[in-house]
Amino acid sequence: MLFSWEYLLQGFATAFSLQNLLWAFIGCMIGTLIGVLPGIGPSSGIAILLPLTTVLPPTSAIIMMAAIYYGAMYGGSTTAIVVNIPGEASSVPTAMDGYEMAKQGRAGPALGIAAISSFVAGTLGLVGLTFFAPFLAGFALAFGPPEYFALMFMGLSLVISLSGRALLKGIISMALGLLASLIGQNPLTGAARLTFGSVDLMAGVSFISVIVGLFAISEVMFNVEQAVKAINVTEIRDWMPTWADIKQCIGAMLRSTGVGFFLGLLPGCAPSVTTFVAYDLEKRISKHPERFGHGAIEGVAAPEGANNATSSAGFVPLFSFGLPTAPSMAVLLGGLMMYGLQPGPMLFKQNPQFVWAVIASMYIGNIMLLVLNLPLVGMWARIAIIPFPVLGPLIVLCSVVGTYSIRFLMFDVWVMFIFGIMGYFMRKLGYPIAPMVLASVLAQMLETSLQQSLLISQGSPLIFITRPISAVFIGLAILAIVRGVWVQIKSHAPEIALEEDEG
Amino acid sequence: MKTQRSADIAGGCFLTFLGLVTIFAATRIKGGMEERLPPRTLPYVIGFIILVSGVFLAIRSWRFRGEDPVIKWPDRPGTIRIFVTLVSLLIYIALMGLLGLPLSTFLFISFLVWYLGRYRILYALFIGFLSGLISYILFIYLLELSFPVGPFLVR
Repeated sequence: MLFSWEYLLQGFATAFSLQNLLWAFIGCMIGTLIGVLPGIGPSSGIAILLPLTTVLPPTSAIIMMAAIYYGAMYGGSTTAIVVNIPGEASSVPTAMDGYEMAKQGRAGPALGIAAISSFVAGTLGLVGLTFFAPFLAGFALAFGPPEYFALMFMGLSLVISLSGRALLKGIISMALGLLASLIGQNPLTGAARLTFGSVDLMAGVSFISVIVGLFAISEVMFNVEQAVKAINVTEIRDWMPTWADIKQCIGAMLRSTGVGFFLGLLPGCAPSVTTFVAYDLEKRISKHPERFGHGAIEGVAAPEGANNATSSAGFVPLFSFGLPTAPSMAVLLGGLMMYGLQPGPMLFKQNPQFVWAVIASMYIGNIMLLVLNLPLVGMWARIAIIPFPVLGPLIVLCSVVGTYSIRFLMFDVWVMFIFGIMGYFMRKLGYPIAPMVLASVLAQMLETSLQQSLLISQGSPLIFITRPISAVFIGLAILAIVRGVWVQIKSHAPEIALEEDEG
Repeated sequence: MKTQRSADIAGGCFLTFLGLVTIFAATRIKGGMEERLPPRTLPYVIGFIILVSGVFLAIRSWRFRGEDPVIKWPDRPGTIRIFVTLVSLLIYIALMGLLGLPLSTFLFISFLVWYLGRYRILYALFIGFLSGLISYILFIYLLELSFPVGPFLVR
């Protein structure tokens, strides 16, 4: 058994050290800032800050990055409510009722309930993570290379089939991501491939460059194109929700926790999906569905709860299988790998103090966010209206510094530049971005596990279907693809990816 | 490239070409067949997937008869703004090795803030100066990361 109360308590002891508390706090602040700023999301935010954390010890660094992540998921709601700018796609449902409440002068209660709901769902989600992840990791101890290959294959196929109606474009996006990561050296033999004789290309394409380019740079291009300037702010009168408000929302909070957590375990079910599902569920079971869209307080509680439950749930597959289910998780995975920590069952076995410290710090971080955000809402709302002409160039600066400092190669910055332009065109032309990001992060592990599997089986690919667990994963992957193809054939619309979240 | 259909036909053709290039480049990878996973296999597979999906996308869109959404390309001023932003980023990256991080940052941020926001030049220069200064203090002085410092500053 990989879980024990002793480990968890030790984790809390580590997380409560002054240094780690400080980094969790800084992470929460930076994360909320990233969530509040519309031009930058959790994935690109973590990606551009990742290289700068190398001065910290691994535990503090990951504690900080996790804090940035859930802080960002949290911060999106503030601006959605106060200024009707959802910082991330997952905050769109929050804006629907939250901004209505704000217009009625109830921005305070809306923000309060968003904070409380995030806290309740986030913490319950963490309880789920605490017990579920070691359980799954124990199960995954039996995994060999074929199972890992099949698992990652399944993860990719789910992400593709969930990326809207554009299955073919999802496959193309994935293939391009894999192609980019093939460039450079063969991880096993070190032989050059697809370099066209160029020395620069030998270094290979770093996935941080891919992520920062696809998200941050292309987002800046979108905003530059529309000449986004400034926005109106509503006035905030009363601050706290009443007990009656909270009582009214308890059901919504608990239901959205369930929805957010369990859907969040699936690869590809980003918060942008689960928040809409939770919102829709509340509307369906409500006795007064007509209030939704006109300032229903449950309409704020439900998506915010689902949002945070999903972000906690995303850590389950990440820690227990090493499988990122969303781009931001892929960036965190990259962060772990930068420190030589390979997520998966062995992480629980070999570095229990690390895993449990990070998990424990998330409980603390959730409390910090609650305490921090209620009084600071006014400040965050003001930051959100930093005009884009100032913010945009600063995002570009952070992207350049972030990608350069991974390996101190100007080549990486150029790659980011190219992927920025590519991301812009992909989004314009309806190609989903998530499969490309996940493929570029997973590529090396995919290739290594494939090679190892074929070594075990002496070259026979049958190994993936003769081993039961791997056969199940491959089967699920095929099902996901077949379902996607079926949906495609039935619909006669051209392929356009849904505008997706980067969560 | 005005509508989704024409863009997808063009995209399909481009991907077909890219798939062919990949397969061609893969034939030139050195390495023996003695490995369990021959070094050319994965590039071939990926190239093949790109080729086939490209052909498929092009044909599918070619034969597509239905409501054809118009792609929201930027208007003329928007295109110019994107172009200028990208060119200034290009120059920024290219100059960084020569001028160093702080100075090139100062120039880049000042220009772009001024260009995108039409603020007073002094305000833009102030933001640029602040960014350059912070990047120097934070990345070069405090974190001691090996960024190019440029000819006028010391590490």
